Amino acid sequence: MLSLAADNAAVIDTAVRRRPAAAVLGDKVVETQGLTKVYGKTITAVDRLDLDVYRGEVYGFLGPNGAGKTTTLRMLLGLIRPTGGTARVMGAAPGTPASLVKVGAIVETPAFYPYMSGRDNLRLLAMYCGVPMTRVDATLEQVELTPRARHKFSTYSMGMKQRLGIAAALLKEPDLLILDEPTNGLDPQGMADVRNLIIELGKGQRTVLISSHLLGEVELMCTRIGVIKKGKIVAEGTIDELRGAATLTVRGTPADLAQTVLVRDAGAENVTALGDGSFSLKVAAQRTADINQHLVQAGVAVTELHMDERSLEDIFMELTGTEGGL
Amino acid sequence: MVAAFRGELFKAVRRPGIWVLVGLFLGLAILIGYAITYLIYTHPPPNSSQGLPPGTTLSDFKIALYPENFVKETMSQWGVLGGVFALIVGVLLQGSEYGWGTIKTLYTQRYGRLTMLFGKLLAMFVVVLVIVLGLFAVDAACSWIVAHLDGKTSSFPAADVIVKAIGAAFLIFSFWAVFGFALATAFRQSALAIGLGLAYALVIELLIFGLLAGLGGSVVKPIQQWFPIANSSYLSQSFGQVRFRGLESQPVPYADATHAVVMLLLYVIAFTTISAWLTRTRDVTS
Repeated sequence: MLSLAADNAAVIDTAVRRRPAAAVLGDKVVETQGLTKVYGKTITAVDRLDLDVYRGEVYGFLGPNGAGKTTTLRMLLGLIRPTGGTARVMGAAPGTPASLVKVGAIVETPAFYPYMSGRDNLRLLAMYCGVPMTRVDATLEQVELTPRARHKFSTYSMGMKQRLGIAAALLKEPDLLILDEPTNGLDPQGMADVRNLIIELGKGQRTVLISSHLLGEVELMCTRIGVIKKGKIVAEGTIDELRGAATLTVRGTPADLAQTVLVRDAGAENVTALGDGSFSLKVAAQRTADINQHLVQAGVAVTELHMDERSLEDIFMELTGTEGGL
Repeated sequence: MVAAFRGELFKAVRRPGIWVLVGLFLGLAILIGYAITYLIYTHPPPNSSQGLPPGTTLSDFKIALYPENFVKETMSQWGVLGGVFALIVGVLLQGSEYGWGTIKTLYTQRYGRLTMLFGKLLAMFVVVLVIVLGLFAVDAACSWIVAHLDGKTSSFPAADVIVKAIGAAFLIFSFWAVFGFALATAFRQSALAIGLGLAYALVIELLIFGLLAGLGGSVVKPIQQWFPIANSSYLSQSFGQVRFRGLESQPVPYADATHAVVMLLLYVIAFTTISAWLTRTRDVTS
């Protein structure tokens, strides 16, 4: 279970960390154990990282700048060699043909040949990947780049470059998409388009591992989230799991009857009298309707009932100890 | 590796920088090798015969521009200097991948790093071969035109001589291209690789051995025979030099063509191995 320390230096109690059964989430497509990258002798970019990503999920990889997100993704693609631990991607060692053939990726800024057109860049990658050329036009269409496909990459805006990067990642119809900041440089419409595309891509059996600074984006797209700080996963779970219990504020009369009902429903340790006839409860958000019904059935006149959920940003700040450093 | 090779050729063919370089090189071969030289020999400046053996004029040197001597002329003129252009080709093909960040795009497609590397090297050798064939074609055409302008009859060397010369030039240029490729791999960029490569090609080896020459040829030449520029020269000189009237004596290469071929092949293998080792072991962080 997630444990948040009072000083914001939250760590996971690995013994009880939520680890959904493979039967529920599918088999593991990314699996790391003790993955470590140390530069020189002093800079530990990734520190004994244990990460499991299951088939069919959209996994959000969150962390402040320099937390080790990109280094981790590069290790999963075989671009960087770990100094410790192991990793398996699509059942094979990272960077090997057996792994790469099933993985599409964008790492940081998409990089292409500036003197070639968008279409020629994709045709080139199709040759490398061994996919039919018909996929080129299909992916260009998918990211709505067809009208500019004949123009040189060097003339593309940041958003178009990003979309070409996504097209390149989709070219081989990969089972696993690794996307590092895929909405970087996009305008709001472009971000919405990419977000919808990723949500669409994440349906079915395809797995998406996405790193992002944009918490709102992650919240909308991801089925599960891992938060990384100083090279270590400090929290992992669904967004609801990370939020934990929400705070429900209840005001009703008579107050003593209301308190009796609330204590019976939520337990005395989860009910706090606020002193003005209202009560604060720590309960799961989905229990709100039940509690309201019980109060009404007991004869309490409910005058106020609202749920305060922690935002993903609040959770992120607590876990990483950052203040807007996203 | 076929897919990597095809992809690299696809890129090279579409890259304007490569063809600008090839065009510049062939243009210089025409301009320096034939056009300007022909003009000077045809219209020699006053007192240009000073320093030449008695009875010899600059126009006697025109014979070097005729088809019978085009192989000798091409090898002596460009055997070493042309390598500089090949070096730049090698640097551009590899160094730009780091500059544009496309190295990470390449290595996240399907094949392993070494497969991609050898595909790229093969494509580079094709570009080098195109440069060499272009050079010989241009020089052959120029020599034929010069002979016709002068109304001379001159036949081309035997086909086997031409083929051997093309092979020799290809080996020399390949060495320089692989050298540039290895420098670009080592420094992960083009600018420093071109700078150092040119410094070596035009200054370092020549300067060091030029200074050491003061110690005497018997000391320097046994050392020099292991260095690439010296071996490029030995191989170029092995095709002979044009014999001009009054200037029959010619320098004899310190080592023969076989020695030069073996040494240059060893350099090609060594720099390929260095590139492969660096590619295989280093992280891609750009």
